[in-house]
Amino acid sequence: MFQMAKTTMRNFFILLMAIISLNSFDQISEKKLTGSVIASNQKHMLKIVNFDELQTILKKNDNKLYVINFWATWCKPCVEELPGFMEVNKSYRKNPGFKMILVSLDLATEIESGVRPFLLKNNIVTDVYILNDNKRMNEWIPAIDKKWSGAIPATMIYRNGKKLEFRENKMQKTELVQIINKYLKQAI
Amino acid sequence: MKRIGFILSAILFLAVTVQVYGKEPAKTSEHKGYKIGDIATDFHLKNVDNKMVSLSDYKDAKGYIVIFTCNHCPFAKAYQDRIIALNKKYATKGYPVIAINPNDPKMEPIDSFEGMQQRAKEKGFTFPYLFDDGQKIFPQYGATKTPHVFVLNKEKGKNIVRYIGAIDDNYANPADVSHKYVEAAVDALLSNKPIVQATTVAIGCGIKSQM
Repeated sequence: MFQMAKTTMRNFFILLMAIISLNSFDQISEKKLTGSVIASNQKHMLKIVNFDELQTILKKNDNKLYVINFWATWCKPCVEELPGFMEVNKSYRKNPGFKMILVSLDLATEIESGVRPFLLKNNIVTDVYILNDNKRMNEWIPAIDKKWSGAIPATMIYRNGKKLEFRENKMQKTELVQIINKYLKQAI
Repeated sequence: MKRIGFILSAILFLAVTVQVYGKEPAKTSEHKGYKIGDIATDFHLKNVDNKMVSLSDYKDAKGYIVIFTCNHCPFAKAYQDRIIALNKKYATKGYPVIAINPNDPKMEPIDSFEGMQQRAKEKGFTFPYLFDDGQKIFPQYGATKTPHVFVLNKEKGKNIVRYIGAIDDNYANPADVSHKYVEAAVDALLSNKPIVQATTVAIGCGIKSQM
């Protein structure tokens, strides 16, 4: 019995050491990442992707809390909620455990005529992907969320490949902040 | 030593709890509205010609292609000609198109009743284009976006929902459509065969409502 307790205790120590070393490793990578995050946020990043490519971006195992917003330049409620999202991004983007991504459903052919001018005009500094996979909507919409009817705006929160939240409606800044704080507190 | 062990256990327990809690699946709100097989409500809505229209006005219809659509949405606009074509093909076969604008013009002025009249005239709509005044019908159907199609089939005097979803699989390019979902559904009803794909999803403009 005593022997068992001793073994359990030793295991605890090993685990604790592992947690401590993992934390310090996180801190090192935080420092490194902060620099690159700021640098990349000087300007927006705009790229056309298909759903498979988007999946690999969304399902990274990097302990980051991903806020993914589906929108389009022609979608009025989307455009209305964007300033709030940008304010949220501004206050969290230095946090290495946070990343916001916009997924545009504009036509890929309108990347230079519509999307990029919109991003510049509205000072959007997050990564923006144009999801160019129109013919597979009936596949990727349910893959993102079974209950998503396809209306935009829609927002989801991911971490380590797991979907934590999904909203198919316009979001207020306070609601978004609440959700982000909830999950950032639960950071592993 | 015992105490340290206890503290360590407590920390670990906490860490595990947090981890488990963090992985709890997110709760998403259930979609209200019709499912396949439900009885669809009739309505009494104003058409662009100022006359009131109900499903029950169509005594000879075998069913209906009810499409929630609007003026402003690029997806709805992209499908205008295809909606006209659907009515042309299926109204004579007993499945007329009934278009309904569910948007609140206070939130989207382009979708006003006058705007609807103008659009119907410009495009030469051959089907009713109704205004969901007070926005009471679209929530009962569970329409969330435009365009959003509900194919109804008259069975024993009731209008049964047989298809919910998109018109086809390519809003952007009608020349590159592989699956004509609504046509396949209505064709199946016409030939008394089961509908292979009874529900589909596609991106659309969220319905503008203050509710």
